[in-house]
Amino acid sequence: MNGVAVVMRKAPYGSVYTAEGFRTIVGIAVFELDISVLFVDDGVYALVRGQDPSQLSMKPLGDGFPTLTEFGVTKFFVHDQSLAERGLTLKDLVMDAEIVDSARIAQILETVGKVLPF
Amino acid sequence: MLYTVNRSPLSASSLQSVLRIAPAGSPILLYEDGVYAAVPGASSAPLVRAALANHPIYALDADLQARGITTVLDQIQVVGYDGFVELVEQHQVAPWL
Repeated sequence: MNGVAVVMRKAPYGSVYTAEGFRTIVGIAVFELDISVLFVDDGVYALVRGQDPSQLSMKPLGDGFPTLTEFGVTKFFVHDQSLAERGLTLKDLVMDAEIVDSARIAQILETVGKVLPF
Repeated sequence: MLYTVNRSPLSASSLQSVLRIAPAGSPILLYEDGVYAAVPGASSAPLVRAALANHPIYALDADLQARGITTVLDQIQVVGYDGFVELVEQHQVAPWL
């Protein structure tokens, strides 16, 4: 199966990156690709619990990621340093994800080969 | 894996992020505003000098020229679009937008 790594590095709401990254994952999931989703730097903010952007007239972006499992997307990785330096732990996130270090992130990118940045 | 950086190191953390993810030996290509990391007098220079010990670093000539950057840190390899294409042919690419 062909693999793709989607790297999320931006905070939600401040730009279209998180929303577009999510849409892209849904879009490519139908092709039964082996998708790995990696949250690095401000990308980890996309998964924080309790997002309510109703006053911005936007939908909560974090809530979408756990639903991706219904599309067969099950590999979610969160960069440990990025999480720690934002004062967050796995408990603060909307879903269970594998916490990984920099070396493992690089290894996943290397193994998968195709990287889509958001 | 070739890591590419297109943001200035003085306004974004893309380069710092790449430097903690990319294993030693991974090449890094600076393009667009990323080429400001090649400037010797910039406050980012110590970071980039240290990175050069572990990574080959390339800067895209067209983007340097466009920004009036005529001198780059020693060891940074200036490449044209042909060099860019060669790097992309030789490596899979991780664009660190």
